[in-house]
Amino acid sequence: MSGGREAILQSIRSRRLVQSPKPQPYSAPKTEGDLAEAFAQRLSFWQTDVRMLDSMADVPAAVADVLRGKNMAQRVHIAPDSALALDLPGIEVLREPPGQNDAAVTEVPFAIAETGTLAYPAGKGRPASWHFRPVLEIAVLRASDVVPELEDVLKRLGGVLPSTLNLVSGPSRTGDIEQTMELGAHGPKSLAVLVVKS
Amino acid sequence: MTAKPRVGLFVTCLVDLVRPQVGFAAVKLLEQAGCQVEVPAAQTCCGQPAWNAGADAHAVDIARQTIAAFEGFDHVVVPSGSCGGMIKRHYPEVFEKDEAWLARARALAAKTHELMSFLVKVRGMSGVTAQFAKTVCVHDSCSSLREMGVKAEPRALLGSVSGLTIDELKDQQTCCGFGGLFSVKYPEISERMADDKIADALSTKATVLTGGDLGCLLHLKGRMARQGKALEVRHAAEILADMGGEPALGEP
Amino acid sequence: MNLDPRNFQQAAREALNDPLLRPALGRMKTHFGAGRAAAVARYGDFEALREAGKAIRDYAVTHLDELLTQFERSVVARGGTVHWARDAAEARDLILGILRDAGAKTVTKGKSMVTEEIALNPFLEANGIVPVETDLGEYIVQLRHEPPSHIIAPAFHLSKEQVAETFFASHTDLDPKRSLVERNALVQEARAVLRRSFESADAGITGANFLSAKEGAAVIVTNEGNGDLTRLLPKMHIVVTGIEKVVADMNDVAVLLRLLPRSATGQPISTYVSVMAGRRGADESDGPQAFHVVLVDNGRSKLIGTEAQDVLRCIRCSACINHCPIYGAIGGHAYGATYMGPIGAALNPGVMGVENAAHHANASTFCGRCAEVCPVKIPLPRIMRHWRAVEHSKGLAPRSITAGLGVWAFAAKRPGLYRLGASVMAWFLRMMGRRGTVHALPVMQGWFAVRDFPVPQGRTFQAQWKARRQNAAERIGLEGGNSRSRQQR
Repeated sequence: MSGGREAILQSIRSRRLVQSPKPQPYSAPKTEGDLAEAFAQRLSFWQTDVRMLDSMADVPAAVADVLRGKNMAQRVHIAPDSALALDLPGIEVLREPPGQNDAAVTEVPFAIAETGTLAYPAGKGRPASWHFRPVLEIAVLRASDVVPELEDVLKRLGGVLPSTLNLVSGPSRTGDIEQTMELGAHGPKSLAVLVVKS
Repeated sequence: MTAKPRVGLFVTCLVDLVRPQVGFAAVKLLEQAGCQVEVPAAQTCCGQPAWNAGADAHAVDIARQTIAAFEGFDHVVVPSGSCGGMIKRHYPEVFEKDEAWLARARALAAKTHELMSFLVKVRGMSGVTAQFAKTVCVHDSCSSLREMGVKAEPRALLGSVSGLTIDELKDQQTCCGFGGLFSVKYPEISERMADDKIADALSTKATVLTGGDLGCLLHLKGRMARQGKALEVRHAAEILADMGGEPALGEP
Repeated sequence: MNLDPRNFQQAAREALNDPLLRPALGRMKTHFGAGRAAAVARYGDFEALREAGKAIRDYAVTHLDELLTQFERSVVARGGTVHWARDAAEARDLILGILRDAGAKTVTKGKSMVTEEIALNPFLEANGIVPVETDLGEYIVQLRHEPPSHIIAPAFHLSKEQVAETFFASHTDLDPKRSLVERNALVQEARAVLRRSFESADAGITGANFLSAKEGAAVIVTNEGNGDLTRLLPKMHIVVTGIEKVVADMNDVAVLLRLLPRSATGQPISTYVSVMAGRRGADESDGPQAFHVVLVDNGRSKLIGTEAQDVLRCIRCSACINHCPIYGAIGGHAYGATYMGPIGAALNPGVMGVENAAHHANASTFCGRCAEVCPVKIPLPRIMRHWRAVEHSKGLAPRSITAGLGVWAFAAKRPGLYRLGASVMAWFLRMMGRRGTVHALPVMQGWFAVRDFPVPQGRTFQAQWKARRQNAAERIGLEGGNSRSRQQR
């Protein structure tokens, strides 16, 4: 079976007639105005509860309010080693991976204004699966981390990808039954994003 | 005053056989638009049935014959987006590997036009003198829409016909299911596509279905006749040339 | 269920008579068709985006060897392994070998058309490994032992009642009196059932929408998140994909990501885009500990340098399928192949052989809608026509068609004979006509099977034109030769 590689490469090379030139760089239409506002507006369209907060001090109350709004217990999962330094009075914090009916609070390193997208490079304190395990994800984002487009995220990562980079634009959904959209297919049924302005 | 442009009319095989009036309507409209019209006797079919079937050798021969018959004219005008598209878009493909003929094919393609777009875009015609006191829906053939870029022109001209009202189809993009030999090879699929188009037409206020391609119209009329559905079908050129009083397609 | 593309005509007839298929196809048109149109209208210059996508894919298709070897180096540098499979059998064997080496018994699967193409699931089952599809649509059709009927909406042809029946029959450990009337109840049941599979699977297999050569990453787009749980929860992640999916780098992927969901479902971006580069890092608490990529050729490389090469640009968005009036009439199963609609018609004859997939190339009116909506501007009708020419030149076309074309072409190359023939035909059809149309003839039976033929108006145009010219000429002769505009030169 080791012959496959050379045979395939040979098949490609022997048949090729011409080679197309390196494409011109593409420049997408730019997002105008405030990036965080544009981000919030676009993500809100996708059934996401986006809240603008003045400071990190407002996060605990917002988390509690999101949980109440979903009729969920005041209990969240936060990854061990998470960079989120949150004091959540009255909220039980668990460190093990969330189950399919749990809520998780996650830290968002970057967000993309063009499409209203959260960008999660996996790493220490940022386990990738946590964006898919819970039924509710509450994501905490600093407004200054909203970049115009995906290309900017790639630049900020310095050309080195983490093992997994997850781009998330809304709660999990499916249209597989009668082409009708239903939320919560495998990943979270609800997504709340707390955008902290300073 | 400049000399009248010499226009070669490519009649199309279906107009020649089934609906000669479309040819005479085209001649009348072109003369009204100040053209000198000639109809080369050396024309038959554009060769599209052979090309679409992959019978390339036949297509090459027929395309050469058409190019030779028409390359001397200032313009070539075709009362069909489909046959026009064959000459304009596909003749250069037919001769992709034959440089001498490719140049001739491209030259012919550059001066080939669908009838109604020629009248409006090249001759600047903004209206016609004709009467037709009926409501019509317009079927755009796929080749008119996507190969020849014709959509506004038939509507502009039909809109100038005295008494005529247009009530548009809901779906103006989807094929009617003719497709030349497709209609013979896959009759049941073609039937479903025709029925969808006919249902759309019957849901309008129109009593007449019109369009610029006789192939689609023959197929749709043939299907309606089989089902006993009474929608009058006519090529748009007949209405524009004030020949709408003649029996419609498939009417005794 | 049609599993043979040669059986297309019969399967198409059956599909046309399927009463449940029509409403499903109608929904497809309104959802995907209207969705794409709205998304394109909202984007700035979508045409420029299509051109950029085409250029990126053209570069990739014509540099596959460089990009694939670069991709391999990048994957290896991140601790992964790349495998190369010449054909379906080799791919199946490779995947089985990887799974056996890891002692895997159960496998969750993200959506992958390539694993459909290589018929991986029945092969794994026959070898004692249980594959579980996790994309909801794929899961439903797997339970029903059906192939997907659409490349991105595998179960669109089913009603929610049919899905409920399937779940009642399959999830026998659940309360038989539970309600599965609502669509969301079905979705939640699948979520719960499949979560157990994710948590217990030994390995996860996904496809890839793109491979990025520079970074050694596989990229998938999903709305459900199933692909991510497939990758992230088991110990091992295997990506199975076609060799043509590679592009130069993530910046190219970023451009294509603007095209793919808009063209597919009308979304500006899918809910999840997952860039998967190798196994978990040393400081990460989850993710796979082993990462394999199986690159499948299976007839793709032999399209390079042919008239069908452009089909390799395809990003499998399904826009051509969603806008195809033929697919819109018969759905996906009638094709009897993994890839249906226009992309199938352009790809299958090249990969499966013209003798097997000729119907796919022939069952098109060349309406051109597919090429118009293709995000990477593949000239689909042109490629279908190429396969028809191959079929014709190999003498594989039906005799009735080639013989009829031959007679017609003989006359069409001889204008005098053609005019005579047309005149005879016009006379004959008028003789045969009743009340304006001809109802049947011993030829063109396909035409007369479903429709009449309108009777010609009279003599042919050419005959009438000649007569008018002669009359005019005689009149001119009598009147002393005044030149008239219609005078022949």
